[in-house]
Amino acid sequence: MRMDNLQLAVTEAILDGAAALEFCNAPGHGAAALFIGRVRDINQGRSVRAVSYDLHDVLCRNVFEEIAREALAEWGEDTRLYLAHRRGRLAVGEASVVAAASSRHRDESFKACRYLVEQMKHRAPIWKQEHYVDGDSEWVKGHALCGHG
Amino acid sequence: MSTAEIATETLDIGLFGGFRQFVPEGRIEIDANGLTTITDLRARVEQAFADNPNALMLLKASAFATDRRVLDDESEALPRGEALSVLPPVCGG
Repeated sequence: MRMDNLQLAVTEAILDGAAALEFCNAPGHGAAALFIGRVRDINQGRSVRAVSYDLHDVLCRNVFEEIAREALAEWGEDTRLYLAHRRGRLAVGEASVVAAASSRHRDESFKACRYLVEQMKHRAPIWKQEHYVDGDSEWVKGHALCGHG
Repeated sequence: MSTAEIATETLDIGLFGGFRQFVPEGRIEIDANGLTTITDLRARVEQAFADNPNALMLLKASAFATDRRVLDDESEALPRGEALSVLPPVCGG
């Protein structure tokens, strides 16, 4: 999904922070913030070899757009925003998510970029299954989207 | 219409995340006859997993959704003609 100042994606392709910064760029923008989330080698004391990401593609894109429009309303309609998340199995060190924001001044960029990441983690229909070095695999417990969870 | 001609309405429900350990294909088909609300749908999906306590526990923490939105208010009418899914707790990033 790409609009004038939003680029939002779920993809199996390798994520590229440079592409996010290239998109989050405008003559009047003196600041850009970039976040890259990567697969970590240890989680809760267990050695991780890889993580598989499962996504509800259509709803995920809709939630990304909802979050991005909230950010625009908060930090200005001329803010440029980029949010992309991987699908499939990723090895340790691979980027699972890239978020970026650009704006006239740094405060808006930092806040908008962080908003994209935090809201994505709490609201986007994305799940991860960790694959451990010992051969075991486990779905990671997350944030319930319903009130009775 | 004779009894033999009465069609059974079914719903294809998408399953994600931890549900894939119980249903690898990520879909279940349930009998939709008599369902009017999301609460009814939840009860019907619970029946489908009645012999699986782990799946029932995950279902309890899960929300229902269309492709457009999470169905927060489970007293609302069952959306017709829209894809439906069960969403376990999320953990992107």
